[in-house]
Amino acid sequence: MTVANMYKEKGSNPYRPWPARITSIIDLTENERLFELRIIDESVREGFQFESGPFVELSIFGVGEAPISISSAPSKQGFIELCVRNAGDVTGALHGKKCGDIVGVRGPFGRGFPFQEMKGHDVLLVAGGLGIAPLKSLINHIHDDRHDFGNVSILYGARDPSEILFRYQFDMWKHRDDFDLILTVDEADETWGDEVGRVTALFDMIDIDPDNTYGAICGPPVMYRFVIDEMRKKEMDVDKIYMSFERRMKCGIGKCGHCGVGHQYACIDGPVFNYWEAMNLQEAI
Amino acid sequence: MFFRVMDTSRLPDLVRGLSRDHEVIGPVAKEERFVFAAIDDPADLRLDYDTTLLPPKKLFFPPEDQMMRFRVADNEVLDDEVFAAPRVLLGLHPCDINALLLMDNIFLKDYVDPYYKARRDTTLVVGISCVPTEDCFCNSLGTDEAHWGFDIFLTDLGDRYFVSVRSVKGAELLDDFVETREITDADTAAFQRVTRERKDKFTQDVDTSQLPLLLDAKFDSPVWDELGERCLSCGACSMVCPTCYCFNVRDDLAPDQKTGTRTRLWDSCQFSEFAAVAHGQNFRESRASRVKYRYYHKQWGYLSKFERVLCVGCGRCSTACAADITPREVIAALAKGGVE
Ligand SMILES: Cc1cc2nc3c(=O)[nH]c(=O)nc-3n(C[C@H](O)[C@H](O)[C@H](O)COP(=O)(O)OP(=O)(O)OC[C@H]3O[C@@H](n4cnc5c(N)ncnc54)[C@H](O)[C@@H]3O)c2cc1C
Ligand code: SF4
Ligand code: SF4
Ligand code: FES
Repeated sequence: MTVANMYKEKGSNPYRPWPARITSIIDLTENERLFELRIIDESVREGFQFESGPFVELSIFGVGEAPISISSAPSKQGFIELCVRNAGDVTGALHGKKCGDIVGVRGPFGRGFPFQEMKGHDVLLVAGGLGIAPLKSLINHIHDDRHDFGNVSILYGARDPSEILFRYQFDMWKHRDDFDLILTVDEADETWGDEVGRVTALFDMIDIDPDNTYGAICGPPVMYRFVIDEMRKKEMDVDKIYMSFERRMKCGIGKCGHCGVGHQYACIDGPVFNYWEAMNLQEAI
Repeated sequence: MFFRVMDTSRLPDLVRGLSRDHEVIGPVAKEERFVFAAIDDPADLRLDYDTTLLPPKKLFFPPEDQMMRFRVADNEVLDDEVFAAPRVLLGLHPCDINALLLMDNIFLKDYVDPYYKARRDTTLVVGISCVPTEDCFCNSLGTDEAHWGFDIFLTDLGDRYFVSVRSVKGAELLDDFVETREITDADTAAFQRVTRERKDKFTQDVDTSQLPLLLDAKFDSPVWDELGERCLSCGACSMVCPTCYCFNVRDDLAPDQKTGTRTRLWDSCQFSEFAAVAHGQNFRESRASRVKYRYYHKQWGYLSKFERVLCVGCGRCSTACAADITPREVIAALAKGGVE
C-alpha cells in the first residue's frame, strides 16, 4: 500500500511523523548539508512513492516541523535525500544531528513536476541557489529514463563557487553528453572556470525548440519573473513552464491555511504550478 | 425528513433524557452575552440567545488542541489518541450548523483530520430556530436555513416546537425521552408563517454576486489600503469566526526535556508573521494585503474548491472588530470602489 493510500484509505493520522534514521550526512557548503534518511517502518518505507517535486514535513519533536523538498529521485528505493540549509529552528536542529540519529518525516505531500507528460520532449531546468534541491530529484529521475527525453539543459546559478551545491556530481556530468550543463556564479574566485553573471544571461548560450520544450524553475522568489521572461522570449508555452513555490507551511495537507497563494494552497495544489496557473494566482510571482 | 410536534414545556424532559448518556452542551448566559457551555440544569439553557461569543467550532477544533505526546530521544509518538465522549450540542442556529458543514470540507476530506473527526463523530446536533440580529446576513448567503448537519431541529412556534428529524439517532432519542405527536395541517401552516415572519426580520442585504470576479478585477483597489490603515491586526475576526480554521503548531517539552506535547493553536491570517518565511521574506507584510487575503480566501479561494463561500453571515466578526470592519462594508466598498 502506498503512503498516499495509508492516509486516504486507511485513515492514518497525517500529522503523525514516521520515524526515520539518518544514514548519511554530506556537507555541501558551509550552511547546506545533504541528509540521507531511511524510514524505519518497512511498510511505510516501501509505500513511500512520489514523482519529482513533492516535499516532506521534517519533524523534530521538541522543536517543530519544516517543509523540505525531496532531493532524491523516486527510483532511489528505501532512502530519501533532503538537501537542507540551516535557516532556523528545525533546520538548525537537523544540522545538529549525527548519523544514526532518528528524526521524523510526514509525507510525501504536494503535486510535483509532470514527469510522464514531459517524456518525449526537451527539458530546460533553471535553478538558483537552494532551488536545485527539488530539481535535483527531477534531474536524477530524467537520468534514470534518459532515452525517453530529448535535449536536457540545466542552467544553475549561485552567489559564489562555495555555494554551488552538488558540485562533485555536476563536475562528473559535465564530461558526459547526457545533459547540457551550464553553471554560473555572481562572484567568481580563482577556482572557478565556468560562467560569471546571472542565470538569465545563460539563455543566450542555448538553443531551444519552443514547441517541444518543458521548463522547470526553482530558486529564490525574485528569480522567477526574470527566468520566465527569458523563456517567453524564446517562445516557450505558458503551460509548459513549471515552477515550485516556497510558502510558509505548518501542516502540508491543506488544513492550517499558512501556505495560501492566490486562491490556492501551495501544499496541496502545488508546490509545483505551471506558468498559466501561476498567472492566475494573485501575488504568486 | 419527517416531522413531529413537541410542547415547549417538554424541553426539560428532553435535556434530562439526553443527559443520561451524553454530555449536553448549549447556550448559557455569561454576563451580557452568551456562550456554549455544559448544561447541568435544564433551566440554564437559553434557547432564546441571539448569538454566542465564540462559535461551536471550539468544541471540535479547540483553541489549544493537543495532537500528540512524544519522546525526544527516538522521535517517537507516545500517544495520538483523541478522547471524545458522546455529546449533544443543543441549540445551534442554522448559520452555525452550516458553518460546521463548511469546516467538514476541510477537516474530513482528503487527509482526514483525526482530532476533528473523533469529536464530530461523537457529537449529536440539535438545532434551534433563531431571530435575526442587526449584524446577521445569512439570508444573503443561503445559510439562513439548515437542511443538513443536524440530528433534530426545533422550530419555535411559541407554545410548541415543530421538530424536524434528520437522523436515526435523532429519531431514537426523541422516541426515548420526550412526548411528541404527529404534525397537523395547522402545525405546518404555523411553521410556514413563522418562517416567513423570520425572513422579514433581516435588515441586511449583502450583495455577493460577482464577488469572486470583483476580488480579482479590483485586486489593487485602494479600498484595501483604506481598510488596512484601520485594521489593528488583532485577529479577533478569525477567532470568533465559525468558519476560520487556520492554525499554528507548537511543541512543548516536559520539565525533564525527555518527552513533550505537540499542540495546535488557532491562528489568524491577520497576524503579521502568518506568511513569513526564512531569509526575511514575508508574502503578506502589509495590513492591507492581510485584510484582503481574509476576504479573498473566504469569498473566492474556498469557493474555487467547494463551490460555496467560507462565510455563513453570522455577523460575529462585525461585532468583534474594534475597527468596525464588517463584511457588509467591505463587500459594498469593493463593489463601489471606495469606503464610505
Ligand atoms: C515546498 C517547500 C520546499 C522546501 N524545500 C527546502 C529544501 O529542500 N531545503 C531547505 O533547506 N529548505 C527548504 N524549504 C524552506 C524551509 O522549509 C524553510 O527555510 C523553513 O522555514 C525552515 O524551518 P526552520 O524551522 O529551520 O526555520 P524557522 O525557525 O521557521 O525560521 C526561519 C526564518 O523564518 C523567519 N520566521 C520564522 N518564523 C517566523 C515568525 N513567526 N515570524 C517572522 N519570521 C519568522 C525568520 O526569519 C527565521 O530566521 C522549503 C520550503 C517549502 C515551502
Ligand atoms: S466572516 Fe464574519 S460573518 Fe462570515 S462566518 Fe465568519 S464571523 Fe460570521
Ligand atoms: S477584528 Fe477587525 S481590527 Fe482585528 S484583525 Fe479583524 S479586521 Fe482587523
Ligand atoms: S501547509 Fe497547511 S494548508 Fe498548506
